[in-house]
Amino acid sequence: MKNEQNPSIRQVKIYSIVTLILIILGSGLSYWTAGRIEFYSDAVMHTTEVLQRTDQLYSSILERETNIRGYGLTGNEEFLTNYHQSNVDAELLLSQLQALTMDNAQQQNNIEELRGLINTRVRTFDATIEYMKEHRNLIGFIDPIKINNALGGYRMIKQLVLEINEIENKLFKERNQSLFNNINALPFIVGLISIFSITIGLVTFFSIYQYNKTQQVASKEITLYQEKLRDQIKLLDDSNKELESFAYVASHDLQEPLRKITAFSDLLNEQYKDKLEGDGDLYLSRITAAAVRMRLLITDLLDYSRAGRIDDEKIKSVKLYKVISEMLEDFEIAIKDKSANITLGKLPKVRGSGTEYRQVFQNLISNSLKFSKPGVNPEISITSEKASQELIGKHSSLNINGNYHWIKVSDNGIGFEKQHADRIFSIFQRLHGKKEYEGTGIGLSISRKIIEKNGGVIFAESSLGKGSTFNIILPFTNT
Amino acid sequence: MFVIQYMLMSFEKPIHILVAEDDEDDKLLILKAFERTLPKEKVTCVEDGEALLKYLKRTAPYDDVEKYPKPDIILLDLNMPRKDGREALAEIKSNEDLRSIPVIIFTTSNSVDDIQATYKMGSSSFITKPGSFEELVKVTEEIENYWSKTVKLPG
Repeated sequence: MKNEQNPSIRQVKIYSIVTLILIILGSGLSYWTAGRIEFYSDAVMHTTEVLQRTDQLYSSILERETNIRGYGLTGNEEFLTNYHQSNVDAELLLSQLQALTMDNAQQQNNIEELRGLINTRVRTFDATIEYMKEHRNLIGFIDPIKINNALGGYRMIKQLVLEINEIENKLFKERNQSLFNNINALPFIVGLISIFSITIGLVTFFSIYQYNKTQQVASKEITLYQEKLRDQIKLLDDSNKELESFAYVASHDLQEPLRKITAFSDLLNEQYKDKLEGDGDLYLSRITAAAVRMRLLITDLLDYSRAGRIDDEKIKSVKLYKVISEMLEDFEIAIKDKSANITLGKLPKVRGSGTEYRQVFQNLISNSLKFSKPGVNPEISITSEKASQELIGKHSSLNINGNYHWIKVSDNGIGFEKQHADRIFSIFQRLHGKKEYEGTGIGLSISRKIIEKNGGVIFAESSLGKGSTFNIILPFTNT
Repeated sequence: MFVIQYMLMSFEKPIHILVAEDDEDDKLLILKAFERTLPKEKVTCVEDGEALLKYLKRTAPYDDVEKYPKPDIILLDLNMPRKDGREALAEIKSNEDLRSIPVIIFTTSNSVDDIQATYKMGSSSFITKPGSFEELVKVTEEIENYWSKTVKLPG
């Protein structure tokens, strides 16, 4: 069944799944990028803080230099207080820097080195302050070597601070770049996914549109076919009715001249019989006999054209047992004449006209009596059972899902050859000469017409000399 | 044989029958059948409804009262050219002078519609033409017998 699915529907399914995957993928990617952006902005902030702290550290170092110089020149204690404050600041900043650059070994080394340099410098300052406190001035303390050392120490500190700054600056640039890269990537990714989704959406829309269009065309065609079919059924109905009325009118009008042939033959026979010479008498009787037979045929044809006409007023629930037993009562004499034994089983109620069903079974019984074996008492049985699914399936005119009665009329008569089983139901078809068995050959065709008009099927089974069975399949009635 | 019959019949006044029949064969057969019980001159034929009305109203060529006397009963075919039996019946039954004449429908039709319609219009009987001459004779005898002996006619 899946293969019969419209390809467009399958396409739409695939498009939808692809779009969903893309959106999930895009969301994941965006989330990841957002994470990266956060990471890098944190990193940039971090670097900025390191730079800031380094700057503050350098300021505090400079401040200390200034304060020690001021103290050395003036001996003012206030400078000393500021100097100590600077020392504490520097120590704090160093610790902060150390903590901030935990992830960077190079900077840790640099900071450790800076701390060493600062400590050396502090020791020199401490010695200077001691001397100053003792002598009130620095005369005799400062010598060219000391000055040289001080300059060198300061230069090294400056150098190292610059280096730390440079490394951090470099890091800042890198991280900033990454941050920008990620920020730039985000709209690109989102845009790309949007474009994909929109494209697929358009394709899907187009597919559905196309599919709908095809559907519309198809349903239009179906409607057209239905209309055509309805027209043809009506045409068929009309032509059927026309045919029926044709048969009726034709046979009715055919009776007119025939009536006159009969009447004038009678007149001729009555008034001039004595005057007819040679075979004249015989010819006249032949004309009369032929006219009588033709009259019979026409009456039968009329009956046939009338049979099974759907007349809603006559259609009702018919108790077959009642109809058949009443019919048998009327045929009592013929049945007794033949010493026939007729048995009726349990028979159902069926839909249709009682008169017509009576005609059907009357035809079948009279056939069985007529075609009985010479010297053998006719045994006729009428039984009914529910038709099996298999039996229903054999007849295309029956509804395979419907419920049907299977009525069997069996006899022990002369039977007929298998190949004639269908022929006997055709109009005016006879298996025997007119002299052997009387009748026009209309009975079974009328029976078939009645049964078929009531939604059933009739068929015969027999073999020569073995009796025959007439099977009637009729739908269940719900009333 | 026939002579004796005529003699017996002469005790009663034989009725006069007017037959409206377009078919030559049927006309011949009906006349032949009536000949068995009635003198020839007691049965007159006209070929359609128009002629029937002319006869009854004594318009030409039926203005000779001696030759074309007022009928006691009318035998009317339904399907005829020009004016058919139904129209003729309607006209007769709407005419004050003619409506008392019994009209017997004598046709090939045996349709229920025709039977009901013609009785409603005032016909006295409806007879379907029989198949054989023998039966036809029987029917004509019965008609003659009934309308001349069994019933009293307005005259």
